[in-house]
Amino acid sequence: MTDQPIIAIRDLHKSYGPAKVLRGCSLSIARGEVVVVCGPSGSGKSTLIKCINGLEGYQSGSILVDGIEVGAKGSDLPKLRARIGMVFQHFELYPHMSVLNNIALAQVHVLKRTRAVAHERARELLTRVGLQDKADTIPADLSGGQQQRVAIARALALDPQAILFDEPTSALDPEMIHEVLQVMTELASSGMTMVVVTHEMGFARSVADRIVFMDAGEIVEDSPSEEFFSVPKTPRATEFLSKILAH
Amino acid sequence: MNYHFDWTPIWAARGLIAEGLLLTIALSAASLALSTIIGLIVGGAATAHSRTVRACALFFTETMRNIPLLIHMYIWYMAFSFLRLPAFSCAVLGLSLYSGAYVAEVVRAGIGSVGRGQMQAALATGLTGLQAMRYIIYPQALRIIAPSLASLFSQLIKDSSLASVIAVGELTYQAGAIDGQTFRTFEVYITISLIYLVLVTAASQLVLLIPGSRSEAAAGRFADA
Amino acid sequence: MPDVILKNLPFLLHGLWLTVELSAWSIVLGTLLGLLVGTIRFVRVPVLNVLAAIYVEFIRGTPLLVVLFITYFALPALFGYRTTAYRAAIFGFVLFIAAYLAEDFRAGLRAVRPTLIQAGLATGLTRWQVLRHIILPQAIRRVLPSLFNQYVRLIKFTSVASVIGVTELTGAGLLINARDFHPVKILATIAIVYLVVCSALSLAGRALYAQFGVRT
Repeated sequence: MTDQPIIAIRDLHKSYGPAKVLRGCSLSIARGEVVVVCGPSGSGKSTLIKCINGLEGYQSGSILVDGIEVGAKGSDLPKLRARIGMVFQHFELYPHMSVLNNIALAQVHVLKRTRAVAHERARELLTRVGLQDKADTIPADLSGGQQQRVAIARALALDPQAILFDEPTSALDPEMIHEVLQVMTELASSGMTMVVVTHEMGFARSVADRIVFMDAGEIVEDSPSEEFFSVPKTPRATEFLSKILAH
Repeated sequence: MNYHFDWTPIWAARGLIAEGLLLTIALSAASLALSTIIGLIVGGAATAHSRTVRACALFFTETMRNIPLLIHMYIWYMAFSFLRLPAFSCAVLGLSLYSGAYVAEVVRAGIGSVGRGQMQAALATGLTGLQAMRYIIYPQALRIIAPSLASLFSQLIKDSSLASVIAVGELTYQAGAIDGQTFRTFEVYITISLIYLVLVTAASQLVLLIPGSRSEAAAGRFADA
Repeated sequence: MPDVILKNLPFLLHGLWLTVELSAWSIVLGTLLGLLVGTIRFVRVPVLNVLAAIYVEFIRGTPLLVVLFITYFALPALFGYRTTAYRAAIFGFVLFIAAYLAEDFRAGLRAVRPTLIQAGLATGLTRWQVLRHIILPQAIRRVLPSLFNQYVRLIKFTSVASVIGVTELTGAGLLINARDFHPVKILATIAIVYLVVCSALSLAGRALYAQFGVRT
């Protein structure tokens, strides 16, 4: 039971109309693993992880999350999504609520915690990401880096089994990338299962257990982190690495 | 111009004017409430996932908007006369369905302008679609459309004047009555116009009560529905 | 088609024709007046600007029915002239729609980028030339969707002319109903005619903007 992968994707196919976005992707993620998904734009990385929590549908193949088939008719998606957190590229904090309420909302309405418990947990998480004195601020008054850290706290608030990150630092000014990566690194070392779509190869190299390289809708390489960087198996991966690491 | 101005009969008839004013306000308030409910539901439906639901919403909006308000009122008053609804109710129903369709359009646009990412973020935390609409999407949409809603409310007050045609004793009806009694045609209608002007201006300021709506509301005093 | 409709078809068709006539006159004259008033307000011609503002604010705060009562009853009483319901109706509709169009035109004129205006002035054009060759063409393209909306709205509003006795479509239907009493069939028919005409026009409008690349 415990060595079952927490996320098991098998032969996933997805198209947007005539365009094939995912071509037969297969991927397994074990509990506690930190997996980085990288690749050129349009390779389908974001689409792939959005399929995991059912935000995107797929035509064929299967995705099992903690034993639940994501695409099955009648599967309880809200319940599944409460077990998997997600952090978005553009933070997507709710602009009409304070930071505290952003983090408390789902706790109250999905996990049915009391307001008091939810607020308390929210404050704990804010402290964990280093923003304890921003509880009553509104998102518009925070910097991008601060907003993203709040978003991570929001994802943690439901005590998820895994967190999906969709290019968490791509919309940030360079000075703020570090503070977010710091939080993510701490998260990884605390044993959280993470799937991170990113271009931050430094982070990938030091924190990830595995690197998954995608190109044109396919998973081209899937290797342990050190191996990927020193001995890439395919020419496409080699090309990508040389471009990314060149500057 | 041989017209002899005489405003005193207008003042003498202020009781009738007051009655008419009260009915106009009652009519407008009732229709505002009903059309807002209709508009929120249909506008939300217009953004639903199901194509059938969206089509129904579109059908409703197109039909209700493209039938003139006067016809709406006549339909309830004459075609559905077997329902024996009092004229006031006919007017409210006619106004609400007509306005409701316009509110629905505005609500739909408002929901659409809340970024897709907000919905995804809300769903990603395990909220159901309905919960996401209620706590995340609608609150943001309402703030965006507040100025347009002010315009529609102003328009509603003006449209209520058509109720006079189905014998509801609101402001315009009373104007006709007073004109019949006093023959001060010009004074009566100018007075009524000014009263509507005041009502409409007051109505558009009310929308500033919605928390978070900005002073763009001041720009939308009169409707262009 | 129901009997009562067939029997009265010529009268109803005449009513429809009156609706078209009323709409056409009101749209053409109203647009001209609206353009004039909107431009006056935009340019801020002294004195005229204030009069224009009073006119626009007054009309936009007044129900259409009251405007028609003013043009049919109040103004003739005031100035001591006689008029037909039809002429009073056109007068009223023109005044009404022009006030709304004036605001739309004014908004469109104001939306033209000031840098564009500066560019025109910098090449030596006078303010009037800039208005005519640069600002107006831009503004009109931008304003087309709102204009169209107002036109469709007006067609619906012509039904109110029935209240002062014009036998356009609604008026004709009501007269027939008074004599033959089939409210359901008559009202349903009239409703469908308006629906078809207005929906068709709205769709045509949207197709037009797409053609001319106007952003809605």
